[in-house]
Amino acid sequence: MSIDSVPSPSQFAPPTAGAVSYNEISRSRREAQTAAPAPAGSLMPAIEVENLRKVFYISKKDPGLAGAVKALFRPRFDEKVAVDGISLRVEPGEMVGYIGVNGAGKSTTIKMLTGVLVPTGGTVRVLGRDPHRDRVANARDVGVVFGQRSQMWWDLALVESLNLIAKIYEIPAARYRELLDEFAATLELNELLSVPIRNMSLGQKMRAELAATLIHEPKVVYLDEPTIGLDLIVKERIRDFIKEQNRTRGTTVILTTHDLGDIEELCQRVIIIDAGHIIFDGPISTIKDRFGKYREITFEVAAGAARLELPAGADVIAAEPRTLALRFDRTQTTASQVAAAVMSQVDVRDFSLAEPDLSAIVKQIYNGALQEEAAA
Amino acid sequence: MISYLRRQASIYGAIAASVPKRFLAFEIWFWVGLVLGAIEMMILVFFWRAVYGQTATLGGLSLDQTLTYILLAQVFAALADQDLIWEFGYNLREGLIAHMLLRPVGFQTNYYVQALASLATRMIMQLPMALLATAAFGLRWPTDLAAWGAFLVSALLGYTALFFFHWILACLTFYTTEVWGLGVLVYGLTRFFSGGLMPLAIMPVWLRTLVLAIPFAQSLAIPLNFLSGITPVAEAPATWLFQLAWVIGLGVVSQLFFRVAVRKVTVQGG
Repeated sequence: MSIDSVPSPSQFAPPTAGAVSYNEISRSRREAQTAAPAPAGSLMPAIEVENLRKVFYISKKDPGLAGAVKALFRPRFDEKVAVDGISLRVEPGEMVGYIGVNGAGKSTTIKMLTGVLVPTGGTVRVLGRDPHRDRVANARDVGVVFGQRSQMWWDLALVESLNLIAKIYEIPAARYRELLDEFAATLELNELLSVPIRNMSLGQKMRAELAATLIHEPKVVYLDEPTIGLDLIVKERIRDFIKEQNRTRGTTVILTTHDLGDIEELCQRVIIIDAGHIIFDGPISTIKDRFGKYREITFEVAAGAARLELPAGADVIAAEPRTLALRFDRTQTTASQVAAAVMSQVDVRDFSLAEPDLSAIVKQIYNGALQEEAAA
Repeated sequence: MISYLRRQASIYGAIAASVPKRFLAFEIWFWVGLVLGAIEMMILVFFWRAVYGQTATLGGLSLDQTLTYILLAQVFAALADQDLIWEFGYNLREGLIAHMLLRPVGFQTNYYVQALASLATRMIMQLPMALLATAAFGLRWPTDLAAWGAFLVSALLGYTALFFFHWILACLTFYTTEVWGLGVLVYGLTRFFSGGLMPLAIMPVWLRTLVLAIPFAQSLAIPLNFLSGITPVAEAPATWLFQLAWVIGLGVVSQLFFRVAVRKVTVQGG
């Protein structure tokens, strides 16, 4: 599959939020998908999810020994809806960020997509298959990194684990050698090949994990927090590797993470899930336009001014002898108006304009910005 | 068909070959296991000598016959070892079950092949115990090749039956996610009912009937009876058929259990 087949970001424009609730947003998406099926002859989606739902039943006990004994005779369960009717479609070669707060339902969704968990309701198709029912066939075409646990054999050297994976996935010997050389070079694994997994650092383990996940050239890869706890250099290397895999092999990537740097670096499209519902599905640029209300301008100045007259919506957020940082609401004023106001009052030597910070935007969304926007 | 079988043999052969490597990753386990095994063997020999101090035969067996059986049971103790409950429990608790389910191989076949490889590895690691039993306690190895043949077939069938039985019990961990109590209980029952501590012939009739009605003894006591001369080789075909019935019955039930239980899987820790 070529990367050229990736649809343009505009195809993933989010539903018009207008005055609609979360449920209406996801319902409108479902209806839109139902009403407008893919034209005949179009590519099969890599992932197609319809009204997916997962409910867990959690044992409920009263505190203390009496509670434990009572639970033996009258077990009670709380219903926890982890995923509540989500629908989405991912095209071959797309890299999609799937984000949300802890407990939002990200990992549960991924586990249903991989076939590990059985949905309580709804349907999942990955490369046209039901991933749970066609577990073995599905497993050949997908790769999964669960950031906190390894798929490799703890006591074996990395190369032994990779050799075994190559056998299990029936990778032809020549191709395996080629890929091993390539991955060893890209992920700097040469020194690690003879090291048992249990003796590796977190960063080394994650690089090894990526190699193990991608060595069979899966068509779809789920990366569940692949950079958790890693330093900047390792993160960078891992992001580059994922980008390269997507670019050269057209690998479809679903990435869940709390590190929005990963999302910005890798994904054009982001899906935000909250309390089991999709609350946003669209390009990162759209999210920034809609919710990146504030921007920052930093000025390098010859000398600070005692008091600045600024356009409405602009505030000083930091003032140091040689630096002045301002934040402005772009719905009330523009960067050029703010810059002009400052330059008319202070001797400015240089200035820079920061793009909206995705972390801050996502934080706003987690805190209910979509609800507020819908209510407005 | 041949190509398919060749491919499967290559995959599962590689999985089996990884087992001894994992066993040998921690050398200290080998030595500790050896010392503990030697101590247990010594205790059992002295125990049975003391028991026979009061009588010439027990359950129709002489001291020599019983000691031969007990020493062989110690050497072949791995036949009654199954780690499925602990493994399922560990994999569920650590969330590793997700990776196990994501391998493009038969889930049960994968475990079965590893269990067989683990059995072979443990058998080889028991060689020093065999030497000890021979040199220190005078174990006389059977020379009848037919007895060895009956033993090997019976051991394979019995081990397979026990694997399926443990598989059914291990599936319970999908519901409980807690295995300590179940694991300890099953370990204790297996040690006793497998016939690793005493020949079945010595047990009271009611207990022997009970033991033969449950699968534990199929993997150790029944095969060892051929090797130690307690069961005549002529009875081998009937025994094998009976064991095969266990294998088929438990195999079918274990598949059904797994199919239902796997739908209950939860992956701990996000």
